[in-house]
Amino acid sequence: MAGGVPTWEEVARDHGRFLYNVAYRLAGNDSDAQDLVQEALLRVRKGLERYQPGSLEGWLARIVTNVFLDEVRRRRRRPADALPDDPDWVLPPSPPADEVQTGLSDDVQAAINSLPNEFRTAVVLCDIADRPYEEIAEALGVPVGTVRSRIHRGRRLLRRALVNTGESA
Amino acid sequence: MNERPAPDDRLSAYLDGELDLAERQAVESYLAESAEWRVELEEVAWARDALRSLPVREAPPGFWDAALAPQLTEARARRARRVPRIAGLGAAAAAVAAVVTGALVVPSPDRVTPKVPAVADAHAVRASVSDDPVSRLATLSVVTPPRR
Repeated sequence: MAGGVPTWEEVARDHGRFLYNVAYRLAGNDSDAQDLVQEALLRVRKGLERYQPGSLEGWLARIVTNVFLDEVRRRRRRPADALPDDPDWVLPPSPPADEVQTGLSDDVQAAINSLPNEFRTAVVLCDIADRPYEEIAEALGVPVGTVRSRIHRGRRLLRRALVNTGESA
Repeated sequence: MNERPAPDDRLSAYLDGELDLAERQAVESYLAESAEWRVELEEVAWARDALRSLPVREAPPGFWDAALAPQLTEARARRARRVPRIAGLGAAAAAVAAVVTGALVVPSPDRVTPKVPAVADAHAVRASVSDDPVSRLATLSVVTPPRR
């Protein structure tokens, strides 16, 4: 890593796992997560020259979130594609057997998928990508107070969804 | 009467360490006084823990190979092209300089002007050591063309 700016290969090698995890938690399934990661890596390559050394994972989380939101908008413009808020998109009725994980993780992921996008992005950036509120606000282009509200409401909605699926504490 | 607000988003910010001192003290006083605040804190903390304890989702086998191979290949090719391009620029500059100074004429398919005396001289030198019949004939050409 020369001068604090990593090469594209270093980003992919050292932070690919982080990128995929965030993409999966946002998208809710492997197929869409793979598309998000592919697109995010392209944007990383184009954007590396402008990258200011700092929080690399914050930058990556921001890129993959933007890719996700762009995809949501694209699908909204094309009615033929299901929307992320559509249960058929976020909760596939019969996921392939190799995608099925153990109980609680699947239920938590299903609860994340049930969140409206503005809450989902906020809680994923906070609790999965572990970004501070100020960085999340910058990534989403909203004030910090809005981030605070979205994270809190997102967690409450998530808990309610989990209680409804019988996974209450 | 001291007004106490309903539990709000300060609770999540409190859990995340995102409150300033004054807000944190206010939240702690509400928590000390209000079961409603404590219940909500417990609920959002539970949701937060559920999210944070999710395992890292790994990409399916083969994904990274498929995802990275084309881009890695392209990136390496770009780096490889960069060096010859620099060397090529140097050669081009030298060629331009050579043309300008008249030191080199770049041949084109329909106009070839070999340096006959120089070629004949070189051949004569080789012929003197190889001793083949054809080369011996070639040495005669050294004196034939007039030198310019």
